[in-house]
Amino acid sequence: MRTGPSPIPEEGLEEGSGPTLVGRLLVPLGVLAGAFLLWEAVVRLRDVPIYLVPAPSAVFRRLLEEPGYFLKAGLVTLQEALLGFALGSAVAFLLATAMAHSRPLERGLLPLAILVKVTPIVAVAPVLTVLLGFGPLPKVIIAALLTFFPVLVGGITGLRSPPAGALDLLRSLRASPWEVFIKLRLPSSLPYLFAAFKVSITLSVIGAAVAEWTGAAGGLGRAIWLSYTDLNMPTLFAAVLVLAVLGIGLYALVAVAERRLLFWHESAL
Amino acid sequence: MSPDTTASQLCVSLRNLSKTFYNNGRSLTALLEVDLDVRPGEFVAIIGPSGCGKSTLLRLVGGLLSPSQGRVLIRGRSPQDAQKEKEVGFVFQDPGLLPWRTLLGNVALPLEVNRRARRSDPADAMPLGKHAGRRGTASHQAPSPRDLLALVGLAEFEGYYPWQLSGGMQQRAALARSLAFGPSLLLMDEPFGSLDELTREAMRYELLRLLQGAGGEGHPIRHGGSPTAWEPWPGRAGYERTVLFVTHSIPEAVLLADRVVVLSSRPGRVVADLAIDLPRPRPPSLEEERDFQSYTSRLRHLLREQAPEPHALEARTPGHAVHG
Repeated sequence: MRTGPSPIPEEGLEEGSGPTLVGRLLVPLGVLAGAFLLWEAVVRLRDVPIYLVPAPSAVFRRLLEEPGYFLKAGLVTLQEALLGFALGSAVAFLLATAMAHSRPLERGLLPLAILVKVTPIVAVAPVLTVLLGFGPLPKVIIAALLTFFPVLVGGITGLRSPPAGALDLLRSLRASPWEVFIKLRLPSSLPYLFAAFKVSITLSVIGAAVAEWTGAAGGLGRAIWLSYTDLNMPTLFAAVLVLAVLGIGLYALVAVAERRLLFWHESAL
Repeated sequence: MSPDTTASQLCVSLRNLSKTFYNNGRSLTALLEVDLDVRPGEFVAIIGPSGCGKSTLLRLVGGLLSPSQGRVLIRGRSPQDAQKEKEVGFVFQDPGLLPWRTLLGNVALPLEVNRRARRSDPADAMPLGKHAGRRGTASHQAPSPRDLLALVGLAEFEGYYPWQLSGGMQQRAALARSLAFGPSLLLMDEPFGSLDELTREAMRYELLRLLQGAGGEGHPIRHGGSPTAWEPWPGRAGYERTVLFVTHSIPEAVLLADRVVVLSSRPGRVVADLAIDLPRPRPPSLEEERDFQSYTSRLRHLLREQAPEPHALEARTPGHAVHG
Protein backbone atom coordinates (compact mmCIF):
# COMPACT_ATOMS: atom_id res chain seq x y z
CA MET A 1 0.00 0.00 0.00
CA ARG A 2 1.04 3.55 -0.61
CA THR A 3 0.76 4.85 2.89
CA GLY A 4 1.44 8.36 4.05
CA PRO A 5 4.72 10.16 3.71
CA SER A 6 7.53 8.20 5.19
CA PRO A 7 11.04 9.50 4.66
CA ILE A 8 12.43 6.17 5.76
CA PRO A 9 12.39 3.81 2.82
CA GLU A 10 10.54 0.64 3.51
CA GLU A 11 12.87 -2.30 3.70
CA GLY A 12 12.31 -5.81 2.56
CA LEU A 13 10.40 -5.34 -0.66
CA GLU A 14 12.28 -8.27 -2.16
CA GLU A 15 11.29 -10.57 0.65
CA GLY A 16 7.68 -10.13 -0.36
CA SER A 17 5.06 -10.90 2.23
CA GLY A 18 6.73 -13.07 4.83
CA PRO A 19 6.85 -16.81 4.19
CA THR A 20 8.86 -18.57 1.51
CA LEU A 21 7.48 -20.04 -1.71
CA VAL A 22 6.95 -23.46 -0.08
CA GLY A 23 5.24 -21.82 2.86
CA ARG A 24 2.90 -19.91 0.61
CA LEU A 25 2.04 -23.01 -1.43
CA LEU A 26 1.40 -25.12 1.65
CA VAL A 27 -2.08 -23.82 2.37
CA PRO A 28 -3.60 -24.12 -1.13
CA LEU A 29 -1.98 -27.54 -1.61
CA GLY A 30 -3.40 -28.68 1.71
CA VAL A 31 -6.87 -27.51 0.73
CA LEU A 32 -6.55 -29.30 -2.60
CA ALA A 33 -5.40 -32.54 -0.96
CA GLY A 34 -8.31 -32.29 1.47
CA ALA A 35 -10.77 -31.90 -1.39
CA PHE A 36 -9.35 -34.94 -3.19
CA LEU A 37 -9.53 -37.01 -0.02
CA LEU A 38 -13.15 -36.01 0.55
CA TRP A 39 -13.96 -36.84 -3.08
CA GLU A 40 -12.23 -40.22 -2.77
CA ALA A 41 -14.11 -40.99 0.46
CA VAL A 42 -17.52 -40.06 -0.97
CA VAL A 43 -16.99 -42.17 -4.11
CA ARG A 44 -15.86 -45.19 -2.07
CA LEU A 45 -18.46 -44.97 0.70
CA ARG A 46 -21.41 -44.39 -1.64
CA ASP A 47 -20.13 -46.83 -4.25
CA VAL A 48 -20.46 -44.33 -7.10
CA PRO A 49 -20.06 -46.20 -10.43
CA ILE A 50 -16.90 -45.31 -12.35
CA TYR A 51 -18.84 -44.27 -15.49
CA LEU A 52 -20.49 -41.50 -13.46
CA VAL A 53 -17.75 -40.10 -11.24
CA PRO A 54 -14.39 -41.83 -10.96
CA ALA A 55 -12.44 -41.65 -7.71
CA PRO A 56 -9.35 -39.40 -7.82
CA SER A 57 -7.19 -42.46 -7.36
CA ALA A 58 -8.63 -43.89 -10.60
CA VAL A 59 -8.01 -40.61 -12.39
CA PHE A 60 -4.38 -40.46 -11.24
CA ARG A 61 -3.90 -44.12 -12.13
CA ARG A 62 -5.12 -43.39 -15.66
CA LEU A 63 -2.82 -40.39 -15.85
CA LEU A 64 0.21 -42.44 -14.85
CA GLU A 65 -0.74 -45.33 -17.09
CA GLU A 66 -0.28 -43.33 -20.24
CA PRO A 67 1.45 -40.05 -19.36
CA GLY A 68 2.70 -39.61 -22.94
CA TYR A 69 -0.84 -39.42 -24.28
CA PHE A 70 -1.82 -36.62 -21.93
CA LEU A 71 1.49 -34.83 -22.32
CA LYS A 72 1.18 -34.83 -26.09
CA ALA A 73 -2.43 -33.64 -25.99
CA GLY A 74 -1.48 -31.01 -23.42
CA LEU A 75 1.33 -29.68 -25.58
CA VAL A 76 -1.00 -29.36 -28.58
CA THR A 77 -3.51 -27.36 -26.55
CA LEU A 78 -0.78 -25.31 -24.88
CA GLN A 79 0.64 -24.34 -28.24
CA GLU A 80 -2.75 -23.32 -29.61
CA ALA A 81 -3.59 -21.36 -26.46
CA LEU A 82 -0.27 -19.52 -26.39
CA LEU A 83 -0.36 -18.67 -30.08
CA GLY A 84 -3.94 -17.46 -29.72
CA PHE A 85 -3.04 -15.45 -26.62
CA ALA A 86 -0.11 -13.81 -28.39
CA LEU A 87 -2.11 -13.07 -31.52
CA GLY A 88 -5.16 -11.78 -29.63
CA SER A 89 -3.05 -9.64 -27.28
CA ALA A 90 -1.00 -8.16 -30.10
CA VAL A 91 -4.01 -7.19 -32.20
CA ALA A 92 -5.89 -5.92 -29.15
CA PHE A 93 -2.96 -3.81 -27.98
CA LEU A 94 -2.38 -2.28 -31.39
CA LEU A 95 -6.06 -1.40 -31.64
CA ALA A 96 -6.09 -0.11 -28.07
CA THR A 97 -3.17 2.17 -28.90
CA ALA A 98 -5.03 3.62 -31.86
CA MET A 99 -8.28 3.91 -29.93
CA ALA A 100 -6.65 5.47 -26.85
CA HIS A 101 -5.31 8.24 -29.07
CA SER A 102 -8.53 8.90 -30.93
CA ARG A 103 -12.02 9.16 -29.48
CA PRO A 104 -13.74 8.87 -32.89
CA LEU A 105 -11.82 5.67 -33.57
CA GLU A 106 -12.84 4.36 -30.17
CA ARG A 107 -16.49 5.19 -30.78
CA GLY A 108 -16.33 3.53 -34.18
CA LEU A 109 -14.51 0.35 -33.25
CA LEU A 110 -15.67 -0.45 -29.73
CA PRO A 111 -19.17 -1.61 -30.78
CA LEU A 112 -17.49 -3.99 -33.21
CA ALA A 113 -15.28 -5.33 -30.46
CA ILE A 114 -18.30 -5.81 -28.20
CA LEU A 115 -20.04 -7.67 -31.00
CA VAL A 116 -17.09 -10.05 -31.18
CA LYS A 117 -17.20 -10.37 -27.43
CA VAL A 118 -20.88 -11.25 -27.12
CA THR A 119 -20.91 -13.78 -29.95
CA PRO A 120 -20.91 -17.19 -28.23
CA ILE A 121 -17.67 -19.03 -28.88
CA VAL A 122 -19.52 -22.38 -29.11
CA ALA A 123 -21.39 -20.93 -32.09
CA VAL A 124 -18.31 -19.60 -33.85
CA ALA A 125 -16.03 -22.57 -33.25
CA PRO A 126 -17.86 -25.11 -35.48
CA VAL A 127 -18.05 -22.58 -38.29
CA LEU A 128 -14.31 -21.97 -38.15
CA THR A 129 -13.62 -25.69 -38.02
CA VAL A 130 -15.75 -26.27 -41.09
CA LEU A 131 -14.03 -23.40 -42.87
CA LEU A 132 -10.43 -24.00 -41.78
CA GLY A 133 -10.27 -27.72 -41.07
CA PHE A 134 -9.06 -29.85 -38.17
CA GLY A 135 -5.66 -28.19 -37.88
CA PRO A 136 -4.55 -25.77 -35.18
CA LEU A 137 -5.59 -22.58 -37.00
CA PRO A 138 -9.28 -22.41 -35.92
CA LYS A 139 -8.20 -23.12 -32.32
CA VAL A 140 -5.66 -20.33 -32.40
CA ILE A 141 -8.30 -17.97 -33.75
CA ILE A 142 -10.83 -18.91 -31.07
CA ALA A 143 -8.22 -18.49 -28.34
CA ALA A 144 -7.29 -15.12 -29.85
CA LEU A 145 -10.95 -14.01 -29.95
CA LEU A 146 -11.35 -14.77 -26.25
CA THR A 147 -8.08 -13.02 -25.42
CA PHE A 148 -8.88 -9.99 -27.50
CA PHE A 149 -11.57 -8.17 -25.55
CA PRO A 150 -10.09 -7.99 -22.04
CA VAL A 151 -6.74 -6.84 -23.45
CA LEU A 152 -8.43 -4.25 -25.65
CA VAL A 153 -10.40 -2.73 -22.79
CA GLY A 154 -7.46 -2.93 -20.37
CA GLY A 155 -5.18 -1.40 -22.98
CA ILE A 156 -7.45 1.56 -23.73
CA THR A 157 -8.00 2.31 -20.05
CA GLY A 158 -4.33 1.83 -19.21
CA LEU A 159 -2.97 3.95 -22.03
CA ARG A 160 -5.28 6.73 -20.89
CA SER A 161 -4.36 6.36 -17.24
CA PRO A 162 -1.26 8.61 -16.88
CA PRO A 163 -2.00 11.45 -14.46
CA ALA A 164 -2.48 14.87 -16.03
CA GLY A 165 0.60 16.15 -14.21
CA ALA A 166 2.93 13.65 -15.85
CA LEU A 167 1.44 14.36 -19.27
CA ASP A 168 1.87 18.10 -18.69
CA LEU A 169 5.48 17.57 -17.77
CA LEU A 170 6.25 15.69 -20.97
CA ARG A 171 4.32 18.22 -23.02
CA SER A 172 6.29 21.03 -21.40
CA LEU A 173 9.45 19.20 -22.44
CA ARG A 174 8.01 18.99 -25.95
CA ALA A 175 8.37 15.25 -25.99
CA SER A 176 7.25 13.61 -29.22
CA PRO A 177 4.09 11.46 -29.20
CA TRP A 178 6.33 8.42 -29.48
CA GLU A 179 8.33 9.51 -26.43
CA VAL A 180 5.13 10.11 -24.47
CA PHE A 181 3.99 6.64 -25.47
CA ILE A 182 7.16 4.80 -24.61
CA LYS A 183 8.15 6.76 -21.48
CA LEU A 184 4.74 7.33 -19.96
CA ARG A 185 1.70 5.70 -21.53
CA LEU A 186 3.10 2.22 -21.99
CA PRO A 187 4.47 1.86 -18.43
CA SER A 188 1.27 3.37 -17.00
CA SER A 189 -0.81 0.86 -18.92
CA LEU A 190 1.01 -2.19 -17.58
CA PRO A 191 -1.09 -2.64 -14.41
CA TYR A 192 -4.24 -2.65 -16.54
CA LEU A 193 -2.69 -4.88 -19.18
CA PHE A 194 -1.58 -7.44 -16.64
CA ALA A 195 -5.02 -7.56 -15.06
CA ALA A 196 -6.32 -8.29 -18.57
CA PHE A 197 -3.57 -10.86 -19.27
CA LYS A 198 -4.52 -12.77 -16.13
CA VAL A 199 -8.09 -13.09 -17.37
CA SER A 200 -7.11 -13.77 -20.97
CA ILE A 201 -4.46 -16.40 -20.45
CA THR A 202 -6.93 -18.77 -18.81
CA LEU A 203 -9.60 -17.89 -21.37
CA SER A 204 -7.19 -18.77 -24.17
CA VAL A 205 -6.79 -22.30 -22.77
CA ILE A 206 -10.56 -22.66 -22.55
CA GLY A 207 -10.94 -21.29 -26.08
CA ALA A 208 -8.43 -23.76 -27.52
CA ALA A 209 -10.06 -26.71 -25.75
CA VAL A 210 -13.59 -25.72 -26.79
CA ALA A 211 -12.46 -25.30 -30.40
CA GLU A 212 -10.87 -28.74 -30.33
CA TRP A 213 -14.16 -30.12 -29.15
CA THR A 214 -15.69 -29.20 -32.52
CA GLY A 215 -13.21 -31.33 -34.41
CA ALA A 216 -9.47 -31.65 -34.09
CA ALA A 217 -6.54 -33.90 -34.84
CA GLY A 218 -5.21 -33.66 -31.28
CA GLY A 219 -5.28 -31.79 -28.01
CA LEU A 220 -6.94 -32.03 -24.63
CA GLY A 221 -10.30 -30.87 -25.93
CA ARG A 222 -10.28 -33.73 -28.39
CA ALA A 223 -9.20 -36.15 -25.66
CA ILE A 224 -12.13 -34.99 -23.54
CA TRP A 225 -14.55 -35.33 -26.43
CA LEU A 226 -13.32 -38.82 -27.36
CA SER A 227 -13.51 -40.13 -23.81
CA TYR A 228 -16.92 -38.51 -23.40
CA THR A 229 -18.32 -40.39 -26.41
CA ASP A 230 -17.41 -43.76 -24.86
CA LEU A 231 -18.02 -42.73 -21.27
CA ASN A 232 -14.39 -43.24 -20.31
CA MET A 233 -14.63 -41.06 -17.24
CA PRO A 234 -11.14 -41.60 -15.81
CA THR A 235 -9.60 -40.39 -19.11
CA LEU A 236 -12.01 -37.49 -19.28
CA PHE A 237 -11.24 -36.39 -15.73
CA ALA A 238 -7.52 -36.85 -16.27
CA ALA A 239 -7.64 -34.63 -19.34
CA VAL A 240 -9.64 -32.01 -17.43
CA LEU A 241 -7.03 -32.17 -14.66
CA VAL A 242 -4.22 -31.57 -17.15
CA LEU A 243 -6.21 -28.69 -18.61
CA ALA A 244 -6.60 -27.19 -15.15
CA VAL A 245 -2.89 -27.56 -14.40
CA LEU A 246 -2.14 -25.88 -17.71
CA GLY A 247 -4.39 -22.93 -16.84
CA ILE A 248 -2.98 -22.56 -13.35
CA GLY A 249 0.58 -22.78 -14.63
CA LEU A 250 0.04 -20.10 -17.26
CA TYR A 251 -1.76 -17.85 -14.79
CA ALA A 252 1.13 -18.26 -12.35
CA LEU A 253 3.62 -17.31 -15.06
CA VAL A 254 1.70 -14.12 -15.81
CA ALA A 255 1.44 -13.35 -12.09
CA VAL A 256 5.20 -13.80 -11.64
CA ALA A 257 5.93 -11.53 -14.60
CA GLU A 258 3.51 -8.99 -13.14
CA ARG A 259 5.23 -8.99 -9.77
CA ARG A 260 8.56 -8.50 -11.47
CA LEU A 261 7.48 -5.68 -13.73
CA LEU A 262 5.02 -3.88 -11.48
CA PHE A 263 7.11 -3.70 -8.33
CA TRP A 264 6.30 0.01 -8.30
CA HIS A 265 2.55 -0.39 -8.43
CA GLU A 266 0.15 -0.38 -5.50
CA SER A 267 -0.90 -3.94 -6.29
CA ALA A 268 2.61 -5.20 -5.62
CA LEU A 269 3.43 -3.25 -2.47
CA MET B 1 10.92 50.32 -17.65
CA SER B 2 13.11 52.15 -20.07
CA PRO B 3 11.50 52.73 -23.46
CA ASP B 4 14.32 51.02 -25.35
CA THR B 5 13.67 47.72 -23.66
CA THR B 6 12.64 45.43 -26.47
CA ALA B 7 10.76 42.23 -26.19
CA SER B 8 13.84 40.15 -26.87
CA GLN B 9 15.64 41.67 -23.91
CA LEU B 10 12.81 40.75 -21.62
CA CYS B 11 12.67 37.26 -20.29
CA VAL B 12 8.90 37.09 -20.45
CA SER B 13 6.62 39.54 -22.17
CA LEU B 14 2.84 39.22 -22.09
CA ARG B 15 0.76 41.60 -24.15
CA ASN B 16 -2.99 41.92 -24.01
CA LEU B 17 -3.18 38.27 -23.05
CA SER B 18 -6.64 36.72 -22.70
CA LYS B 19 -7.76 33.16 -22.36
CA THR B 20 -11.31 31.95 -22.71
CA PHE B 21 -12.28 28.32 -22.27
CA TYR B 22 -15.24 26.90 -24.15
CA ASN B 23 -17.08 23.92 -22.86
CA ASN B 24 -20.43 22.64 -24.11
CA GLY B 25 -21.38 25.97 -25.60
CA ARG B 26 -20.51 27.86 -22.43
CA SER B 27 -17.50 30.06 -22.16
CA LEU B 28 -15.38 31.04 -19.24
CA THR B 29 -12.86 33.84 -19.41
CA ALA B 30 -10.00 32.99 -17.12
CA LEU B 31 -7.65 35.83 -18.03
CA LEU B 32 -8.42 39.21 -19.51
CA GLU B 33 -6.00 41.57 -21.22
CA VAL B 34 -3.00 40.86 -19.07
CA ASP B 35 0.18 42.82 -19.70
CA LEU B 36 3.26 41.71 -17.84
CA ASP B 37 6.99 42.05 -18.36
CA VAL B 38 9.57 40.03 -16.54
CA ARG B 39 13.21 41.05 -16.81
CA PRO B 40 15.96 38.46 -16.87
CA GLY B 41 16.98 37.49 -13.36
CA GLU B 42 13.74 38.57 -11.75
CA PHE B 43 11.72 36.46 -9.37
CA VAL B 44 8.08 37.37 -9.93
CA ALA B 45 5.37 35.93 -7.72
CA ILE B 46 1.78 35.87 -8.97
CA ILE B 47 -0.88 35.92 -6.34
CA GLY B 48 -4.63 36.22 -6.46
CA PRO B 49 -7.91 34.78 -5.25
CA SER B 50 -8.48 31.16 -6.12
CA GLY B 51 -9.86 30.64 -9.60
CA CYS B 52 -8.40 33.90 -10.86
CA GLY B 53 -6.42 32.29 -13.64
CA LYS B 54 -2.97 32.24 -12.04
CA SER B 55 -2.30 28.71 -13.22
CA THR B 56 -3.77 29.50 -16.63
CA LEU B 57 -1.30 32.36 -16.90
CA LEU B 58 1.60 30.06 -16.12
CA ARG B 59 0.39 27.41 -18.53
CA LEU B 60 0.17 30.02 -21.26
CA VAL B 61 3.73 31.11 -20.58
CA GLY B 62 4.80 27.47 -20.58
CA GLY B 63 3.09 26.83 -23.90
CA LEU B 64 0.75 24.21 -22.43
CA LEU B 65 -2.18 26.39 -23.51
CA SER B 66 -2.45 28.77 -26.39
CA PRO B 67 -3.89 32.23 -25.86
CA SER B 68 -7.33 33.25 -27.11
CA GLN B 69 -5.99 36.73 -27.70
CA GLY B 70 -2.72 38.58 -27.27
CA ARG B 71 0.74 37.10 -27.23
CA VAL B 72 3.38 35.48 -25.07
CA LEU B 73 7.05 35.98 -25.79
CA ILE B 74 9.97 34.36 -24.04
CA ARG B 75 13.16 36.18 -24.95
CA GLY B 76 11.41 37.41 -28.05
CA ARG B 77 10.24 33.98 -29.17
CA SER B 78 7.14 31.89 -28.79
CA PRO B 79 6.89 29.58 -25.76
CA GLN B 80 7.01 26.61 -28.12
CA ASP B 81 10.30 27.76 -29.61
CA ALA B 82 11.73 28.51 -26.19
CA GLN B 83 10.79 25.03 -25.07
CA LYS B 84 12.24 23.39 -28.12
CA GLU B 85 15.49 24.83 -26.95
CA LYS B 86 14.79 23.62 -23.42
CA GLU B 87 14.97 27.01 -21.82
CA VAL B 88 11.92 26.60 -19.63
CA GLY B 89 11.63 24.40 -16.55
CA PHE B 90 8.27 23.57 -15.01
CA VAL B 91 7.41 22.62 -11.44
CA PHE B 92 3.80 21.66 -10.80
CA GLN B 93 1.90 21.36 -7.56
CA ASP B 94 1.91 17.61 -8.05
CA PRO B 95 5.51 16.36 -8.22
CA GLY B 96 4.45 14.04 -11.05
CA LEU B 97 7.38 11.67 -10.57
CA LEU B 98 7.17 8.39 -12.46
CA PRO B 99 6.81 5.59 -9.91
CA TRP B 100 8.71 3.06 -12.01
CA ARG B 101 11.81 5.23 -12.15
CA THR B 102 14.30 5.84 -9.39
CA LEU B 103 14.84 9.42 -8.28
CA LEU B 104 17.92 9.58 -10.50
CA GLY B 105 15.92 8.23 -13.43
CA ASN B 106 13.21 10.81 -12.84
CA VAL B 107 15.66 13.69 -12.74
CA ALA B 108 17.28 12.39 -15.93
CA LEU B 109 13.94 12.18 -17.77
CA PRO B 110 14.10 15.67 -19.32
CA LEU B 111 17.46 14.79 -20.83
CA GLU B 112 16.04 11.68 -22.47
CA VAL B 113 13.20 13.31 -24.36
CA ASN B 114 13.33 15.82 -27.17
CA ARG B 115 17.03 15.07 -27.62
CA ARG B 116 17.29 16.72 -30.98
CA ALA B 117 17.03 20.14 -29.40
CA ARG B 118 19.42 19.55 -26.62
CA ARG B 119 22.89 19.67 -28.04
CA SER B 120 22.29 22.44 -30.47
CA ASP B 121 22.51 24.61 -27.40
CA PRO B 122 21.40 28.07 -28.46
CA ALA B 123 22.85 29.81 -25.44
CA ASP B 124 26.03 30.86 -27.20
CA ALA B 125 24.32 32.03 -30.32
CA MET B 126 21.67 34.09 -28.58
CA PRO B 127 21.96 37.85 -28.37
CA LEU B 128 22.79 38.33 -24.74
CA GLY B 129 22.59 42.08 -24.62
CA LYS B 130 24.23 43.79 -21.69
CA HIS B 131 24.26 40.58 -19.72
CA ALA B 132 26.78 38.98 -22.02
CA GLY B 133 29.78 37.68 -20.17
CA ARG B 134 28.43 38.35 -16.73
CA ARG B 135 27.99 34.70 -16.10
CA GLY B 136 31.49 33.94 -17.25
CA THR B 137 32.12 31.24 -14.69
CA ALA B 138 28.91 29.36 -15.32
CA SER B 139 29.27 26.34 -17.52
CA HIS B 140 26.78 25.87 -20.30
CA GLN B 141 27.24 22.17 -19.98
CA ALA B 142 24.03 20.84 -18.48
CA PRO B 143 24.59 19.67 -14.91
CA SER B 144 24.43 15.94 -14.28
CA PRO B 145 21.27 14.53 -12.70
CA ARG B 146 23.41 13.27 -9.83
CA ASP B 147 24.68 16.79 -9.13
CA LEU B 148 21.14 18.10 -9.20
CA LEU B 149 19.99 15.55 -6.65
CA ALA B 150 22.91 16.54 -4.44
CA LEU B 151 21.88 20.15 -4.90
CA VAL B 152 18.47 19.50 -3.38
CA GLY B 153 19.95 17.29 -0.67
CA LEU B 154 18.86 13.95 -2.04
CA ALA B 155 22.23 12.55 -3.10
CA GLU B 156 21.93 9.43 -1.00
CA PHE B 157 18.42 8.71 -2.24
CA GLU B 158 19.18 8.49 -5.95
CA GLY B 159 18.39 4.78 -6.06
CA TYR B 160 15.07 5.06 -4.24
CA TYR B 161 11.67 5.13 -5.85
CA PRO B 162 9.40 8.16 -5.40
CA TRP B 163 6.80 6.22 -3.42
CA GLN B 164 9.44 5.38 -0.85
CA LEU B 165 9.91 9.06 -0.02
CA SER B 166 7.98 11.83 1.70
CA GLY B 167 6.00 14.49 -0.16
CA GLY B 168 8.65 17.14 0.53
CA MET B 169 11.41 14.91 -0.81
CA GLN B 170 9.35 14.19 -3.90
CA GLN B 171 8.85 17.88 -4.54
CA ARG B 172 12.57 18.51 -4.11
CA ALA B 173 13.24 15.81 -6.70
CA ALA B 174 10.72 17.50 -9.00
CA LEU B 175 12.64 20.75 -8.52
CA ALA B 176 15.89 19.02 -9.40
CA ARG B 177 14.22 17.56 -12.48
CA SER B 178 13.07 20.99 -13.63
CA LEU B 179 16.69 22.15 -13.53
CA ALA B 180 17.98 19.17 -15.51
CA PHE B 181 18.78 21.04 -18.68
CA GLY B 182 19.80 24.30 -17.08
CA PRO B 183 16.70 26.35 -17.85
CA SER B 184 16.89 30.11 -17.78
CA LEU B 185 13.22 30.43 -16.89
CA LEU B 186 11.57 28.42 -14.15
CA LEU B 187 7.77 28.28 -13.98
CA MET B 188 6.48 27.16 -10.62
CA ASP B 189 2.78 26.49 -10.15
CA GLU B 190 2.10 26.37 -6.42
CA PRO B 191 5.03 24.01 -6.06
CA PHE B 192 4.67 23.71 -2.30
CA GLY B 193 0.87 23.81 -2.25
CA SER B 194 0.35 20.15 -1.46
CA LEU B 195 2.89 20.04 1.37
CA ASP B 196 2.23 20.40 5.06
CA GLU B 197 2.99 23.75 6.66
CA LEU B 198 6.34 22.80 8.20
CA THR B 199 7.68 21.19 5.05
CA ARG B 200 6.38 24.09 3.06
CA GLU B 201 8.33 26.56 5.12
CA ALA B 202 11.49 24.50 4.85
CA MET B 203 11.06 24.30 1.09
CA ARG B 204 10.83 28.09 0.80
CA TYR B 205 14.27 28.46 2.30
CA GLU B 206 15.53 25.60 0.23
CA LEU B 207 14.44 27.49 -2.87
CA LEU B 208 15.96 30.72 -1.58
CA ARG B 209 19.22 28.90 -1.06
CA LEU B 210 19.07 27.62 -4.62
CA LEU B 211 18.42 31.10 -5.95
CA GLN B 212 20.74 33.25 -3.96
CA GLY B 213 23.57 30.97 -3.03
CA ALA B 214 24.49 29.47 0.33
CA GLY B 215 22.59 31.29 3.03
CA GLY B 216 24.70 33.86 4.81
CA GLU B 217 27.51 33.83 2.28
CA GLY B 218 26.68 37.41 1.50
CA HIS B 219 26.95 37.04 -2.24
CA PRO B 220 23.57 37.80 -3.66
CA ILE B 221 23.55 36.71 -7.26
CA ARG B 222 21.27 39.39 -8.47
CA HIS B 223 21.30 43.06 -7.70
CA GLY B 224 24.83 43.39 -8.91
CA GLY B 225 26.24 40.12 -7.62
CA SER B 226 29.84 39.49 -8.46
CA PRO B 227 30.63 36.91 -11.11
CA THR B 228 32.52 34.86 -8.57
CA ALA B 229 29.50 34.36 -6.33
CA TRP B 230 28.67 30.72 -5.88
CA GLU B 231 25.81 29.91 -8.19
CA PRO B 232 23.95 26.93 -6.95
CA TRP B 233 21.40 26.80 -9.71
CA PRO B 234 23.33 25.58 -12.71
CA GLY B 235 22.07 27.49 -15.67
CA ARG B 236 23.27 28.39 -19.09
CA ALA B 237 26.13 30.69 -19.72
CA GLY B 238 25.03 34.24 -20.18
CA TYR B 239 21.56 33.73 -18.79
CA GLU B 240 20.20 34.99 -15.57
CA ARG B 241 17.82 32.79 -13.73
CA THR B 242 14.28 33.99 -13.88
CA VAL B 243 11.35 32.60 -11.93
CA LEU B 244 7.62 32.98 -12.37
CA PHE B 245 6.02 31.65 -9.23
CA VAL B 246 2.30 31.14 -8.62
CA THR B 247 1.24 30.95 -5.01
CA HIS B 248 -1.66 31.35 -2.61
CA SER B 249 0.57 32.41 0.22
CA ILE B 250 1.33 36.07 0.86
CA PRO B 251 4.39 35.49 3.10
CA GLU B 252 5.74 33.03 0.56
CA ALA B 253 5.42 35.61 -2.20
CA VAL B 254 7.09 38.37 -0.18
CA LEU B 255 9.88 36.15 1.08
CA LEU B 256 10.83 34.84 -2.34
CA ALA B 257 10.01 37.49 -4.88
CA ASP B 258 11.46 40.66 -6.31
CA ARG B 259 8.00 41.60 -7.51
CA VAL B 260 4.56 40.43 -6.57
CA VAL B 261 1.85 40.68 -9.20
CA VAL B 262 -1.70 40.66 -7.86
CA LEU B 263 -4.43 39.32 -10.11
CA SER B 264 -8.09 40.17 -9.74
CA SER B 265 -10.75 37.55 -9.29
CA ARG B 266 -12.05 35.98 -12.47
CA PRO B 267 -11.49 37.07 -15.12
CA GLY B 268 -7.96 37.64 -13.93
CA ARG B 269 -6.29 40.91 -14.75
CA VAL B 270 -3.32 42.62 -13.19
CA VAL B 271 -4.48 44.93 -10.42
CA ALA B 272 -1.18 45.58 -8.67
CA ASP B 273 2.49 45.10 -9.32
CA LEU B 274 4.44 45.53 -6.12
CA ALA B 275 8.23 45.63 -5.99
CA ILE B 276 9.58 43.87 -2.90
CA ASP B 277 12.62 45.87 -1.96
CA LEU B 278 14.12 43.59 0.65
CA PRO B 279 17.84 42.78 0.59
CA ARG B 280 19.16 39.38 -0.37
CA PRO B 281 20.10 36.90 0.90
CA ARG B 282 16.93 36.76 2.89
CA PRO B 283 17.32 35.00 6.23
CA PRO B 284 14.43 33.42 8.16
CA SER B 285 14.57 36.29 10.64
CA LEU B 286 13.38 38.57 7.86
CA GLU B 287 9.84 37.40 8.40
CA GLU B 288 9.76 39.11 11.79
CA GLU B 289 10.94 42.44 10.48
CA ARG B 290 8.67 45.40 10.05
CA ASP B 291 9.41 45.90 6.34
CA PHE B 292 8.43 42.34 5.62
CA GLN B 293 5.23 42.69 7.53
CA SER B 294 4.29 45.96 5.89
CA TYR B 295 4.58 44.23 2.53
CA THR B 296 2.42 41.32 3.62
CA SER B 297 -0.25 43.60 5.06
CA ARG B 298 -0.31 45.71 1.89
CA LEU B 299 -0.77 42.61 -0.18
CA ARG B 300 -3.40 41.28 2.17
CA HIS B 301 -5.24 44.53 1.77
CA LEU B 302 -5.00 44.42 -2.02
CA LEU B 303 -6.27 40.85 -2.08
CA ARG B 304 -9.14 41.60 0.25
CA GLU B 305 -10.34 44.24 -2.20
CA GLN B 306 -10.31 41.54 -4.81
CA ALA B 307 -12.39 39.06 -2.91
CA PRO B 308 -15.66 39.44 -4.78
CA GLU B 309 -19.13 39.24 -3.43
CA PRO B 310 -20.71 36.18 -4.99
CA HIS B 311 -23.26 38.02 -7.13
CA ALA B 312 -20.78 40.68 -8.11
CA LEU B 313 -18.72 37.93 -9.72
CA GLU B 314 -21.66 36.63 -11.66
CA ALA B 315 -22.68 40.08 -12.78
CA ARG B 316 -19.22 40.65 -14.11
CA THR B 317 -18.54 37.35 -15.79
CA PRO B 318 -21.16 37.24 -18.52
CA GLY B 319 -20.28 40.69 -19.84
CA HIS B 320 -16.75 39.57 -20.59
CA ALA B 321 -17.22 35.93 -21.10
CA VAL B 322 -20.15 35.42 -23.39
CA HIS B 323 -19.01 36.31 -26.83
CA GLY B 324 -19.25 32.97 -28.52
